[in-house]
Amino acid sequence: MNAVLYDVALTGYIIATASALGYLLGRREGLWRFTILVTQAGWMVHTLALVVRGVELRRFPLTTLAETVSVVIWVAVLLEVWAERAYRVKVLGAFVLPVVLVLGLALPTGLRVLVLAPAISSVWIKVHVALALIGLAALVLNFAGAVMYLLQERQLKGKRPGNVYYRLPSLETLDRLSYRTLTLGFPFLTAGLLLGVFSAGKAWGSPFAFDPLALFSSFMWVVYAATLSGRAVGRWRGRRAAYFAIAGFCALLLMLGAGVMLQGRHGS
Amino acid sequence: MGTLFVAGMNHRSAPIEVREQLALEEDKLRGILADLTDRGLCAEVMILSTCNRVEVYGLADVPGEARAAAFRGLGAARGVSLQQIETLLYSKTEEEAVLHAFRVAASLDSMIVGEPQILGQVKDAFALAQSCRTVGPALHALMTQAFSVAKRIRTDTEVGRHAVSASYAAVELARKIFGSLEGKAVLLVGAGEMGELAARHLQEHGAMPVYVANRTWSRAQDLAHTLSGTAVPYERFAATMAEVDVVITTTAAPEPIVRAQDVERALHSRRHRPLFFIDLAVPRNVEPAVNDLEDAFCYDVDDLRLVVEANLRERQKEAQRAEAVVEREVAKFVVRLRDLEVVPTIVSLRDKLEAIRRGELDKALSRLPAASDETRKVMEALSQAIVNKVLHAPIVKLKNSSREGHHARFTELISELFGLKRSPQEREP
Repeated sequence: MNAVLYDVALTGYIIATASALGYLLGRREGLWRFTILVTQAGWMVHTLALVVRGVELRRFPLTTLAETVSVVIWVAVLLEVWAERAYRVKVLGAFVLPVVLVLGLALPTGLRVLVLAPAISSVWIKVHVALALIGLAALVLNFAGAVMYLLQERQLKGKRPGNVYYRLPSLETLDRLSYRTLTLGFPFLTAGLLLGVFSAGKAWGSPFAFDPLALFSSFMWVVYAATLSGRAVGRWRGRRAAYFAIAGFCALLLMLGAGVMLQGRHGS
Repeated sequence: MGTLFVAGMNHRSAPIEVREQLALEEDKLRGILADLTDRGLCAEVMILSTCNRVEVYGLADVPGEARAAAFRGLGAARGVSLQQIETLLYSKTEEEAVLHAFRVAASLDSMIVGEPQILGQVKDAFALAQSCRTVGPALHALMTQAFSVAKRIRTDTEVGRHAVSASYAAVELARKIFGSLEGKAVLLVGAGEMGELAARHLQEHGAMPVYVANRTWSRAQDLAHTLSGTAVPYERFAATMAEVDVVITTTAAPEPIVRAQDVERALHSRRHRPLFFIDLAVPRNVEPAVNDLEDAFCYDVDDLRLVVEANLRERQKEAQRAEAVVEREVAKFVVRLRDLEVVPTIVSLRDKLEAIRRGELDKALSRLPAASDETRKVMEALSQAIVNKVLHAPIVKLKNSSREGHHARFTELISELFGLKRSPQEREP
């Protein structure tokens, strides 16, 4: 049942992605409305899938990597719908949904259960995962904002307005969108990671031992922390901030990849 | 009933020298409108006269005659004979006339596709005809539909968006960089007319304050005064760049006056908030290397021209979408219009039978003073049912024939058979 619901949701996201890209290229207002409708419908089915899974397993669906990524997608789509309205960026879907889709389609490869020592399956672990997830979802949007910024900047520097120029909002809006999603995601990420370190310390006595997921998370955190402080000081904005947002997202993908491929405390 | 027609000339069919001869003031147009209807050449008529087109829209039994009379009248004021302009005129009737009216109102037939004035001009022409009482149901339906189609196209397509002048294109670019221009500071270097215009456009979008620099201090002060800005000494303009967001240059300097290294310094001290250069001078005032600096954008006149060209292409693309909308609307309207032509006959047929029914019913009831309420009700219903049954077939026939376009025979026949008075052309109250 849950698998069927999940497939329906994913199909919804596939259709929404195609129609969002179609809107970016062809600019039919009808396509935009259709995209929003399908995205929201997909998200609701997704919600249902998560609930059903939770009820079936009698636990929060946050234990396997697949579940985790599924929740990242769920939050990311929610944020996308919000940001699209808040920043009036009608083409946002064309940049966020493909990322969502890639993550969603990659799910089956990560179906492994993260087997945790019973000693550490405390409530703090769940909070650790949940916080980190919200952070990651916001950073998906941060990435989309950065990509849009670079595209629009290229159009403006190149002085040959194309389709993208007419569709994308101003550099200012895109920069604000990236900054906002970074300031939204980073505290969650930081709190999530700190809780992880704290829990690890409690479970194994030492918070720092070799664990690929933890290692790459720290790396990712450093990149985002650098971006944020660069922005706060006021030197990094625009293009430079966008490059860092993309670097941060690469680290994020590396982290997920490491979680799937390598052995460590997070699972075997 | 007459044929819906449009006849006229536009910027494509006739040169400006001819069009300007036919551009008349309102009083003369009133005279022509009245003349055309008084002589019975047109049942309904309106004249659209703008600098790009002179067109007569109307309903006439013989559109050719109406057209000849209208343009003879329009030419007479300046001594232009019909023969001189006849070859420049185009004529369209029925469906094609509807298509033309919709395209004109939606600004798809304009010299600059999507320009916004035309709709207002069509509305004025319509209002003028209304005040002369030369608008009837056909023109009224045509124009109200044309206005609503035009409005829909404006909101549903981007045919009217994207600047088509260089100074406006500069404003749009600024908005693509800064989002809102509210509170963005502008520095105007030099006193060129285009620069002043661009500065004004920026101000209209909320940009302020405006600084003006000029080699001649008094001219800087004058221009600052007209733009309600502040004059800054010419030597200080490079330093001022750090405090503004948009720099417009229009000086006649033979060498670039804005150097990349100065801009780099300005960008550094403004913490890399973007800086937008609009270089309207030839030879250029801003070093090309400036555009390569991070967070600096520089557009010269050629760049702006290319943006305008791209904008025009964009409008053309949108215009194609708009054409599809217009075509659908025309098809719908033509059906409505044909119905409209048989409506007067249907109405008078109904009225006639209703009058007979009432009369006969009253007569019958007067002979039955003791009739109960129930009897009265039954008789009322009976008479109504008979009338409706009798009317059904002819009305369906009329409507069908109108949709197939050969209703004239039937309206005539029915009027004859039932002894209907041909209603005089109904006019708008």
